[in-house]
Amino acid sequence: MSKTNSNADRFRKQAIAGELEEPVTEARNLARKLGLDPYPVKYWIIDYDEMNELIAYGGFQSRYPHWRWGMQYDRQQKQGQYGGGKAFEIVNNDNPAHAFLQESNTIADQKAVITHVEAHSDFFANNEWFGLFTSGRSDDDQVNAAAMLERHARAIDDYMSDSEIDRAEVEKWIDHCLSLEDNIDQHRVFERRLDVDGPIDDLDDDIAEKLDELGLSDEVKGEVFDEEWLEKLEEADESVTFPEEPQKDVLAFVREHGKQYDDEAGRAVEMEEWQRDVLDMMRAEAYYFAAQKMTKVMNEGWAAYWESTMMTDEVFAGDDEFVNYADHMAKVLASGGLNPYSLGMELWEYVENRTNRRQVLENLLRVEGISWRNLMDVVDFDDVLDELEAPEALETITADTLDALEEVPAEWVDRDALEAAREGEIDVDAYPWKVLTYEGLARRHYSLVKRQHRGFLSRVSQNDLEQIGRYLFDDARYESVAAALADVEFTAGWDRMFDIRESHNDVTFLDEFLTQEFITENNYFTYEHSKATGQFHVASDAAEDVKKKLLLQFTNFGKPTIAVYDGNYNNANELLLGHQYNGVMLDLGQARETLKRIFELWGRPVNLLTIVKEVNEHDIEVAKRRNREPEAEEQGKLLRYDGGEVTVEDVPWDEVDHLAADDVDYDTKPDEWLA
Amino acid sequence: MGLRDDLERFREVGEERREDLADFIQYGDLRGEGNGDIQIPVKIVSLPEFAYDQRDQGGVGQGEDGTPQPGQPVGEPQPQPGDGDGDEDGEPGEEGGEHEYYEMDPEEFAEELDEELGLDLDPKGKKVVEEKEGPFTDMTRTGPDSTLDFERMFKEGLKRKLAMDFDEEFLRELCKVEGIEPREVFEWARGENLPVSMAWVEEAHSEVPDDERGTWDSIEAVEENVEREPVQQKIRREGIKQVPFRREDERYRHPEIIEEKEKNVVVVNIRDVSGSMREKKRELVERTFTPLDWYLQGKYDNAEFVYIAHDADAWEVERDDFFGIRSGGGTKISSAYELANELLEEYPWSDWNRYVFAAGDSENSSNDTEERVIPMMEEIDANLHAYVETQPSGNAINATHAEELERHFGTDADDVAVAYVNGKADVTDAIYEILSTESEDDE
Repeated sequence: MSKTNSNADRFRKQAIAGELEEPVTEARNLARKLGLDPYPVKYWIIDYDEMNELIAYGGFQSRYPHWRWGMQYDRQQKQGQYGGGKAFEIVNNDNPAHAFLQESNTIADQKAVITHVEAHSDFFANNEWFGLFTSGRSDDDQVNAAAMLERHARAIDDYMSDSEIDRAEVEKWIDHCLSLEDNIDQHRVFERRLDVDGPIDDLDDDIAEKLDELGLSDEVKGEVFDEEWLEKLEEADESVTFPEEPQKDVLAFVREHGKQYDDEAGRAVEMEEWQRDVLDMMRAEAYYFAAQKMTKVMNEGWAAYWESTMMTDEVFAGDDEFVNYADHMAKVLASGGLNPYSLGMELWEYVENRTNRRQVLENLLRVEGISWRNLMDVVDFDDVLDELEAPEALETITADTLDALEEVPAEWVDRDALEAAREGEIDVDAYPWKVLTYEGLARRHYSLVKRQHRGFLSRVSQNDLEQIGRYLFDDARYESVAAALADVEFTAGWDRMFDIRESHNDVTFLDEFLTQEFITENNYFTYEHSKATGQFHVASDAAEDVKKKLLLQFTNFGKPTIAVYDGNYNNANELLLGHQYNGVMLDLGQARETLKRIFELWGRPVNLLTIVKEVNEHDIEVAKRRNREPEAEEQGKLLRYDGGEVTVEDVPWDEVDHLAADDVDYDTKPDEWLA
Repeated sequence: MGLRDDLERFREVGEERREDLADFIQYGDLRGEGNGDIQIPVKIVSLPEFAYDQRDQGGVGQGEDGTPQPGQPVGEPQPQPGDGDGDEDGEPGEEGGEHEYYEMDPEEFAEELDEELGLDLDPKGKKVVEEKEGPFTDMTRTGPDSTLDFERMFKEGLKRKLAMDFDEEFLRELCKVEGIEPREVFEWARGENLPVSMAWVEEAHSEVPDDERGTWDSIEAVEENVEREPVQQKIRREGIKQVPFRREDERYRHPEIIEEKEKNVVVVNIRDVSGSMREKKRELVERTFTPLDWYLQGKYDNAEFVYIAHDADAWEVERDDFFGIRSGGGTKISSAYELANELLEEYPWSDWNRYVFAAGDSENSSNDTEERVIPMMEEIDANLHAYVETQPSGNAINATHAEELERHFGTDADDVAVAYVNGKADVTDAIYEILSTESEDDE
């Protein structure tokens, strides 16, 4: 939907761009000072319509032709038109990253977006899960996602325009692939599979050829590698089930071993080249977007955290813009439920505070005469907090207070910048952070003394204190509380955050940092469906229950784990999938429909082993009368689609036993909950 | 290639093509609900995928004040963070999947539409509901103390003082001029437009102590040496206590009587539900009527809607059923107008603004339009009669209802509008056509 931009339009955008040049440069400088290491970011000024288009396309300018972009555009437009929804920012994971600023944003919004984007870009560049996609690529210094997506767009457009190929067939094929979009192995390095030839090499030819290469005499060949041997080898190979290990990357498996079903011939035939190619492209895109899906909470929280540090704590917003900014921030964080922005940001703050608290407590416990038993009694936390306040010289930095910086530890001050500021080359009133180092900034923004976190230190539980204290040696290092506090490492919180942003994803992040304290404070609870009443009820408010329920929603994109167990099922090249049952059953309706799609990609019958929970009608009746939940029975099932109809049959437990995990339990129903 | 194309393809999915996806579409229906907000429907196509059974999965919720008790029922599951990409769940083809809506207030909608289309429909107040006391803007000379307009009285007093006060000190100094007569002082003062009387000057002159007489040589000497104080400054110095209040400045405020007219509207929606009205046509009617309804609802204080479905006969239906009904019979449009006329008796023309909107594919039984429908339309008083022809399949030969109306009423009639909607792109134009017909008709 390209539009010819009038000159006026262009000039307006240029004017905005001119205004934003300084904020962009300085936001980058500030981000680096704060320890972030983002990919370079290219900023674009776009108008409202262009923003809607980008959102529809998932943040990129060019995508393959497909109705779902139309669907997203339709929704986006309606939301904008009627819902007053306002998009502030798009940034895509790429090197360089591209970020889009809507021209109608206020300058405060723009600055907020820029700081937010720099933090996202840092996350893209440094989180290992994003690295899984990049490192498997040959040109691994560049993600160049935009180019990849553009290439896909062109290739698919070419196929659709090809007179030999039915456009609708291409579209359908894409849909089939999309049904399996989450059935990839997102925890592995992405490898493109480039062999577009048929699946299994012709054994006979291959081995015969190799034997030739060995240059063996016919005599020897006749003796050892006779026809009989070759046949045996072939047989053995075919009867071996493959894959050896269950393969979670179903898309890859059908890509390598699948066929298409030819309606006219009534049998499986090799896929067309375009089909295999489209499959490859869809799989690559699924891997590319996987990292984003896996780190949504972390990534959004990360961006919100640093945005707030830059905009609020470092007053990047400017006094007059601040009200606007605060309003913007409040809107983003306010939307209800488990909003990834606020959940993520709170968790990051928790990580920071907890690390800092641990540091302080460890040092205090190393004061002579203080132990985990008496710490709460002998230490006055208000005094400790006063002691931890940043010195005035760091708190307020203006052109007139530069001399005061001579008094603070040298590692906090950026000497070169300080000299430049004295010369008047740096506008220190506007950018006080320029004369500080990372250490200096960490000191300036030390979390435990911030107004909203002041209670955090003293809220430590006796239990936590004991845990820290028990295993501490060298426990009489300091003579006084003051000496202990003087030795606190103020960068500890940030350092830890940077480590975590490298190695974690949402599942591990929530697992490690979603605490009892957090869950209780935010009134989270789990709910479950009752077969007796036919509706959902509150089940539990226990932290461990909430956490496991939440983890269920984040693990494996919140989807059940399905893997290929056999590509030669029934010894007839049928596909056997297994649902790795974790106590939560499949949506059988969707499973049936999905099997039909996979059939198209496999060309031969497809099977799925799963476990369902069954309750008989009589038990439900009884349970209803007694206000109880009926006991469900777990039953193995085999779903099968042969191109005609879906059949479902019971299978004995030992056929599905290997699929059932017995060490997980996502059920949070209490014993007595409906009474 | 491009989004425009994607959007077009999307609209066709499950309809003109890709029947394989028809089961995976979820439509919302167009309806204003509960708090009067409008919900805009969104068509969602969700491809099937391996997913958990929603009921077996359960979920996590957040209490607003405190955590609710275990066992307490919760509504439909809240959206979960995992389904961030907006996937819709629910079994394919299964009824009752949650629809997505965007909500909007009818008034806002009307404003937006006004702005967008440059409309300026001014709703006419009809029924007098009550005589309200307006703002206290009328004035009387008597009344209870509490309604005394003190501000006015003060201003009047001030004005009077400004007009009457003068710089006494300066005049006293003048009287000290060597050999000056009261008459000379008076004349000088009059020349300066000072509101002073001869009597005052004479008195001031006689009060001058003997030893001060002859302080000044001439009037010029006084002008040069004595600073004059303008009245404004004097008032400021002396304070407002000196402002005189007079009986004649007293005014009592009195409320204005305003006839409050309620802006009532009744909208009659008529739809042809006969066999020839297929899904596509039906949808176009819905797309055109619904914004019209919202618009009028947003414009008037009180909006009532009447829904009439007809084939060869007409019957009143509920809104929920209106767009969904399909019958097999023939078509006689006049049946609907007869019913409309009957139903409108409850909404007298003197008290109600009336809009009669009909839609169909222009097919009608022979001579019905000319012999019965047109006379009925002329008989039924209404701000506006409109006919929306939906003809997505091109023109059929016997579909002439719209044409006949246009021929009879003319294209620029101010209370009859005919609009043609052949595709979704025409909807906005049709709405504009209809509403602008009415808005030109200013009384």
